[in-house]
Amino acid sequence: MAASTFCPALLPLLRINCKFNGVYTRISLNRRAAYSLGLTASNGVERQGLPERGNQGQRRQRRAVEPRTERMTVDQDWTAVYPTAASFKPNSVPLPVRMGYPVKRGVPPAKKGNLELIKIPNFLHLTPEAIKKHCEALKPFCTEWPAALDSDAKCEEHFPIQVESKAYVSAGPSLRNPNARIITLTVKLSSLNLDEHARKKLIRLSGERYNKDTDTLTITTDSCPMKQQNYDYAMYLLTVLYHESWKTEAWEKEKTRADMEEYVWEDSPSQKNILETLLRMRPLGEKEEEGEVREELLGRVEVQEYKDSVTKLKNEGETETNMQQYKEAVKKLLNI
Amino acid sequence: FLHLRGHKTLRKHCTEKYHNITTWTSKLCLFFPISTQTCHTELHAGQYYTLPPAHMRTLFPHGLPPRFQMQMKTFNEACVMVRQPALELITCLRKADYSEPALRYVLYGEKGCGKTLSLCHVLHFCSTQGWLVLHIPDAHLWVKNCRELLPSSSRPGRFDQPIQALNWLKNFKTTNEHFLSKIKTTQRYVWTKRESTEEGRPLGELVDQGVSRVKSSSDVVGALLRELRLQAGGAAEGAFRLAVAVDGVNALWGKTTLKKEDKSEVLPEELTLIHNLRKMLRNDWCGGAILTTLSQTGSLFKPRSAYLPMELLGEEGFDNMDPFVPIPVSNYSDKEFESCYLYYLDRNWLQHPHSRTEDGKKELIFLSSRNPSILERLCAFL
Repeated sequence: MAASTFCPALLPLLRINCKFNGVYTRISLNRRAAYSLGLTASNGVERQGLPERGNQGQRRQRRAVEPRTERMTVDQDWTAVYPTAASFKPNSVPLPVRMGYPVKRGVPPAKKGNLELIKIPNFLHLTPEAIKKHCEALKPFCTEWPAALDSDAKCEEHFPIQVESKAYVSAGPSLRNPNARIITLTVKLSSLNLDEHARKKLIRLSGERYNKDTDTLTITTDSCPMKQQNYDYAMYLLTVLYHESWKTEAWEKEKTRADMEEYVWEDSPSQKNILETLLRMRPLGEKEEEGEVREELLGRVEVQEYKDSVTKLKNEGETETNMQQYKEAVKKLLNI
Repeated sequence: FLHLRGHKTLRKHCTEKYHNITTWTSKLCLFFPISTQTCHTELHAGQYYTLPPAHMRTLFPHGLPPRFQMQMKTFNEACVMVRQPALELITCLRKADYSEPALRYVLYGEKGCGKTLSLCHVLHFCSTQGWLVLHIPDAHLWVKNCRELLPSSSRPGRFDQPIQALNWLKNFKTTNEHFLSKIKTTQRYVWTKRESTEEGRPLGELVDQGVSRVKSSSDVVGALLRELRLQAGGAAEGAFRLAVAVDGVNALWGKTTLKKEDKSEVLPEELTLIHNLRKMLRNDWCGGAILTTLSQTGSLFKPRSAYLPMELLGEEGFDNMDPFVPIPVSNYSDKEFESCYLYYLDRNWLQHPHSRTEDGKKELIFLSSRNPSILERLCAFL
């Protein structure tokens, strides 16, 4: 009624958002102005949806019911609400979620009609309860875990090689999934029988597949079409790496200082420098031989400390503490 | 020598209270440069001491940082703060045994911490002790921006830098005038078909030869370094101690920006000056000390944040300098900052009224994070 009296007075392009009885209605006054007088509603409220083509009469739209969330209890069974992966339904999720960019000092938009929430994947069907139910359903198909393997260390000790593969179940035109052929094989190098040379060679051969922090070698194979074939290939690769790393080729003798993985103090310029300095400080006597003096000098405590500090500096990188240690070692050595 | 100064020489700051209590000790005192130096101990850390202007002209024709030179001109005096790294170095120099090979010291620290100024402080100490000071103000100047690069006359495959060598020889002459007549050459040097320096001639002649004949100046520098190396710390009467000071020593093992005529890069060892300087930095001579600083400021192809010795020297540089004593230079401590702040206040350098308040001081601490050069630049605005 208020609308009908206002109509003639208002500008034709005005749109008002009004709230009557908890229901949002949009009263478009531009084109409906001519028809407003003819419309009546059951409780005196004008209700108009979007204009439908060719429809000039009264068209009762379905009354909007209250959302399901109002009637949800706190201890309901959530797995019944979202049993499978489904898109986000704002009227089924009783959480006041907001998502989106807050425009002009506003807040992120609410969940009702929020396309962003519908677009993103959600895991409402994978709550811990749902997972438990899945596990219970799968239990009849599983065998029992061996009682002797009750800790991670024991598993590691008895089964050092771990093979991971994924199986995919889906309903579609085809049951097969090409990603099911990928095999990942992980093994810790400490569980393999390797000496120093073999270990360094294996690390060099595996390249990116070796993780220094966790000391694991990871081989991922997907070049064959079947899972079984990929597994065989991964085991073959491991065997080959192991055996090759134990062999020493003829050209490995030509390894230079620049190829070394870490800094070795023996025969380094640092050792030469320090020996020369010490020899100059304490010139050779007549009866002393150079070799003996060298050995004796190298055996001194200060020289050992100096050696440790230089090795630490070069291998671990420079830090203030390392530098301090180096400084102390040099001072002691040169009697400052 | 005695130098009467009718004014204060050392300021005393109360160490317990950091409020603005400055008591001047204005008294007539006989200013013994030597005794002032030797009485620098831990107690004097944080205090300023003045370098006499006569010394400044002779000792530092080329060594001081440019901003410090501007400050010297403004305040009409050269005041240097006594800081812990310099004190450590001075104690080491005092205690060292000079019959043993020369010890190498490397001052390192972040940009603007006071490495060059600490080096100059220590050099002043050395010169007052009667040492011969061989100061290369910035080794980076010898590896970049060189207009004239002549192929060496004496050795094929090497390049001479006449202008740089000439400048350095002139400054060396100013610094060590009194030594040049005492030291004699030990060998005959032939420069060209007609020119040579005989054995037993004073070093001054050698230097004059380099200054007058620009073409052979780099070779003269090499010969000079060799002579000094051989004669330092000898047991003879005219024995002297040699202080080799190189600022920006990481330039010697870095890259150069100089190009040969066929546009290929010049390696540092192909430059005569660098080659001779590297020989000087080896510790195969005795009777002196090698004091160096690392500097990222003029360095080539090194990132701004690099300041640790291994980063700036590189593998080759570290192996060559090893074993050395690294001495870290850090930002001002609380006490040193107080001292610097009070010095600026005393000189009326801080004109802004807010800078004299406690809040202003806290702002300065925050803005400069106690870095000496940043503090100096900030205070220049106030």
